[in-house]
Amino acid sequence: MSRGLVVTVLIVTAFLIYYAIMSIMAPGKKFKELENEIRSGLTTTSQIDERFINDSLYIGLLREKAFLQSRILMAGTDSISLTLNLADSLAQLEIAGVVVKTTDIEGIRMSKMLHQGNDFIITSLLSSPLNITGDRATIKKEPLMVKMAPKDTSEYKPDIMPDTSAYEAVSYILETDKGIRIYVTQSEKAKKGYGKELAWFDLKYRLGNSWEALKSAAQLKVPEYHPFIKIKLPRTDAKVIYRAIPTKGQITVYI
Amino acid sequence: MEENNTYNKTNGIPAVVRTNAALLWSKVLTFFKDIAAKLSSNAKLLKSLKITFVTFVTILSLFAIFMFVFYAVPALQEIPSPGKTQITSSKELKENPEYKKTITALTRENQRLAKKYDSYTSGQSYIVINTTDNRFYLYRNRKLVREGFCSSGSYTMLKTEGERKWIFKTPKGKYRIQGKISSPVWRKPDWAFVEEGLPIPPADHPSRYEYGVLGDYALSIGDGYLIHGTIYKRFLGMPVTHGCVRLNDEDLEAVYNTLSIGSKVYIF
Repeated sequence: MSRGLVVTVLIVTAFLIYYAIMSIMAPGKKFKELENEIRSGLTTTSQIDERFINDSLYIGLLREKAFLQSRILMAGTDSISLTLNLADSLAQLEIAGVVVKTTDIEGIRMSKMLHQGNDFIITSLLSSPLNITGDRATIKKEPLMVKMAPKDTSEYKPDIMPDTSAYEAVSYILETDKGIRIYVTQSEKAKKGYGKELAWFDLKYRLGNSWEALKSAAQLKVPEYHPFIKIKLPRTDAKVIYRAIPTKGQITVYI
Repeated sequence: MEENNTYNKTNGIPAVVRTNAALLWSKVLTFFKDIAAKLSSNAKLLKSLKITFVTFVTILSLFAIFMFVFYAVPALQEIPSPGKTQITSSKELKENPEYKKTITALTRENQRLAKKYDSYTSGQSYIVINTTDNRFYLYRNRKLVREGFCSSGSYTMLKTEGERKWIFKTPKGKYRIQGKISSPVWRKPDWAFVEEGLPIPPADHPSRYEYGVLGDYALSIGDGYLIHGTIYKRFLGMPVTHGCVRLNDEDLEAVYNTLSIGSKVYIF
């Protein structure tokens, strides 16, 4: 084996190990940032007695309060918002505080940070709605069709019955201002031929994330970490929620 | 005593089996030695085998890197735990008067917030319209009293060769019933003529008025959007309208009789 090849293999291996170490450090860094942000935002009157924050009853009540506060804040707008009650496995669409659609969450996975992190920090983080900053999806938000107006009556064709039988595999990612990403995927197995579409969507997103992380690592920076919540919903409900929620909508999460 | 080799056992393996295994092994070795000898004499074959091996190893390495970067590293990120709070339920703490006071205050605060949140759902009648599934849900005293199919906006963009365009979609959000009309007459807007390739008539031209196409009732939610009946009942449950919400005759009558001016309409 040539010496050049050995050196290349060694360099690549060393970089991959370095990249892995930097990436593993990312969640801890993100958590520290959140902790500093939340602790600096606490007023002296809202300081918490350290003895209490380890108490299950106290934390349970704080979580409930955070959830209600966040929902009330969302209700203040007349916009459509999403509530993810992970404790009861429910996803709900709400308009001005009125639940207009409820669906069962059929699968939940989330970052260890969110369910194993300091409960007080996570509760504080979720005490106000997450604002959607961007989204990606396998389906269109608004399935707009362009129709050119006929020049005269001879060109006019009456509308035929729309074809609503077309199958669409549903998966989307909602990015929020607090860095938390919500991944929604259909719970049913995709129809034959559509599984590839879902896999490609997932791969494209991983590719983008890994590229950003590799760039950060190359610049000797700890990559940005995005805590995630991955949920599975029935396909039709997942589609309804994606189409209903505005591009700059809000989400409340109860863990 | 005569020694029977056939049944002489070492480590529990009969001698005959050991002999057969050794024979087989030497055959295998000979086979590979023959191949190696043939290969070393055939330089062309050896080269192509080397290329194949290097290609295979390269592809395998790239695949391993790909899996490591895209799947293994994100999975590794979920291993470390950033200082989990140890949740306890200590008896000593429960006796603490300050703790008791805090818990009571928090419980009261949560009750107040829950009551406030609950107050957002009106005890009066309201209607919920799902434009993706094209279904409606009518509520009275917080109870679902009727549900069924409807038709909502088609998401069609009608464009003329000039600059004009219209998007036929039902608006989403919270609305209120602003007016109730019986035996409504449709005043056709410009797009209704453009869509059929007809010239646009003046504002109050008789050709703008069409009778009987909106059903027996119409409920206005503002900006020209109506909840009304339809003559195209086979399209109910489909997105076919120009933005209004169409219901069948019976559902429309129930909605008309249940909702009053000011009733809330939630569209998503």
